[in-house]
Amino acid sequence: MVGVRRLLPRGYLFTVLGIAVGVAGLVALGAMAERITRFIDGGDRFVLGQISVAGEGMGMGTGFTAGGLLRAAKIEEIARVPGVAAVQAQVMLPLDPTTSQFLTLTQELILGVDPAGRMPNREFRELPVRAGRALRAGDRGVAVVGADFAASRGLRPGAALVLAAGRSFEVVGVLDKTLTAPDRFAIVPLDDARDLWLRRDPLLVQVFAGGVGGMSRSDLNTGAAVAWADGADPDALARRIQREVPGLNVTIPGELSRLLRQSTAFFSALLFGIGVLGLVIGGLSLSNTVTAAVFERIRDFGIKRALGATDGQLLREILGEALGVSLSGGALGVGLALAVGALVDARVLRDGQQLFLFSPRLLAFAIGFSVVLGGLAATYATLRIVRLSPAEAIRRGA
Amino acid sequence: MALRARGLSKTFRGPDGRPVPVLHGVEVEAKAGEFVAVAGPSGCGKSTLLNLIGLLEPLDAGEIWLDDVCVSRLSRRAQCRVRGRSLGYVFQSFLLIAGLTALENVLLAARYVSRPRAEALATARALMERLGVAHRADHYPAQLSGGEQQRIAYCRAVLNAPPLVLADEPTGNLDEGHAAVILAELRGLCRERGTSVILVTHRADAAALADRTLRLREGRLESQGGERNS
Repeated sequence: MVGVRRLLPRGYLFTVLGIAVGVAGLVALGAMAERITRFIDGGDRFVLGQISVAGEGMGMGTGFTAGGLLRAAKIEEIARVPGVAAVQAQVMLPLDPTTSQFLTLTQELILGVDPAGRMPNREFRELPVRAGRALRAGDRGVAVVGADFAASRGLRPGAALVLAAGRSFEVVGVLDKTLTAPDRFAIVPLDDARDLWLRRDPLLVQVFAGGVGGMSRSDLNTGAAVAWADGADPDALARRIQREVPGLNVTIPGELSRLLRQSTAFFSALLFGIGVLGLVIGGLSLSNTVTAAVFERIRDFGIKRALGATDGQLLREILGEALGVSLSGGALGVGLALAVGALVDARVLRDGQQLFLFSPRLLAFAIGFSVVLGGLAATYATLRIVRLSPAEAIRRGA
Repeated sequence: MALRARGLSKTFRGPDGRPVPVLHGVEVEAKAGEFVAVAGPSGCGKSTLLNLIGLLEPLDAGEIWLDDVCVSRLSRRAQCRVRGRSLGYVFQSFLLIAGLTALENVLLAARYVSRPRAEALATARALMERLGVAHRADHYPAQLSGGEQQRIAYCRAVLNAPPLVLADEPTGNLDEGHAAVILAELRGLCRERGTSVILVTHRADAAALADRTLRLREGRLESQGGERNS
């Protein structure tokens, strides 16, 4: 009890609460900024981790690739290009084709991959599975779903999931949160994805029935992910594929990353604004509260100087108190922000969303920010007070 | 400790910025163990005089000597040491710190003079026992009566056994009984410990206890009160 009293002197409750409100605002705004940053960075890491290829033309135009059908023969050609380590055929379909495909980074997607193959993406060698298991060779009729996808539908391993056209899948795994696109994926075996595509697109069924162009099911790919050999320059390799295998849409990882950054420039600016706003609001609130608390006790400091306290003793004493108060307020503010964040996220999770990301670096920064700013504010106030004579300080505080 | 204050002058600024002279070349002396009362009408500069002598307010002119040291010319830091070790203050409005208990308020006097806590604690408890407020040690000022607060303030003022005690209307807010206790204590300090006491008061009975009474009028010393009052 004495320890708590020393850390938090009597009469500082409202000061601590005032600081807590400022820090809570700072942490909440920071957590929203962290969430958006992680999302953008995740997308960036993904596109920089593989070369995405699609067939020539417009095609499905969904997910990370845009283009026409990528036939099996083309995939084999790509695999023969020097510097290519692996090519993985993929089928990427919007879960709900009736909605706008405008925000492809936030839409829910069905991703069909070869369950026996390894992820070719260098940044996402394997997606972390939180519950259940990943896809494996020979799987059919099963799905591994992203964290938000699962949360918005209450899915767990063993649950049934109807993806499209009445086709039911068994959920065998739920991914850990990546805070980027895969959180909203339903990943199914490639052949199952091709089935879903055929069920949805009557034109494709007619094409296959008519045997147009001698196409087979293995030609039914919306794109492919290309992995490069160790030491290869991915952008140079992408251009080489473009040159050596005609009839492809090849994304250059570096260019795609730049495009992604440009398209998210607004969010980056928003983040900067949120960060500055958080620092200004939180900082002003905190420093104002601490300064006011010190000035409020000007009479006490006058009495202490009358009893012989030197400037240094008074400064040390006030800084010690400011440290205790700022730490308490900072910790309470962090707790408050975590509680509010948890409440809000619990509400928006029903829609598969997460608004806040309380990263350790953010929380450490908030506590450090409180202590440093609290100390600076207390020092400023003390230096103002020690300029007064003891009698003047007592008069002003009366 | 002998006090010699020469030519003390002080001017404040009024709300309109105009100078308001309060003291004009006041001379005060007190020998070691002497009890000196300062009397005069309200606004004549009694409290300002005490603040100047106590180094609580900067001088405009004059000098203050404690024994052979001109304390008014010392550095800020050295004046802090003098305030902590050589001077004790008892204020009319007690000036206790609301966030500290009665005992913590008393011990505050020892904090800034690097006095060992155990020793200060023993002295504080003994003082509070003698003044009849030991049972209030853990109470906060707001939980104490005016008389109890003044006794706590008195304990704080004399905790470090300062050779000079300055008391500004210490009985102004007290009833007769409590006032008598404080005045008797101050008188006892002079007789038993050789402490010099400067007492600002309106009360004739308080002034009567003093060895001499100085009379101030409009910031000037009217009388040095050369003889013992009683």
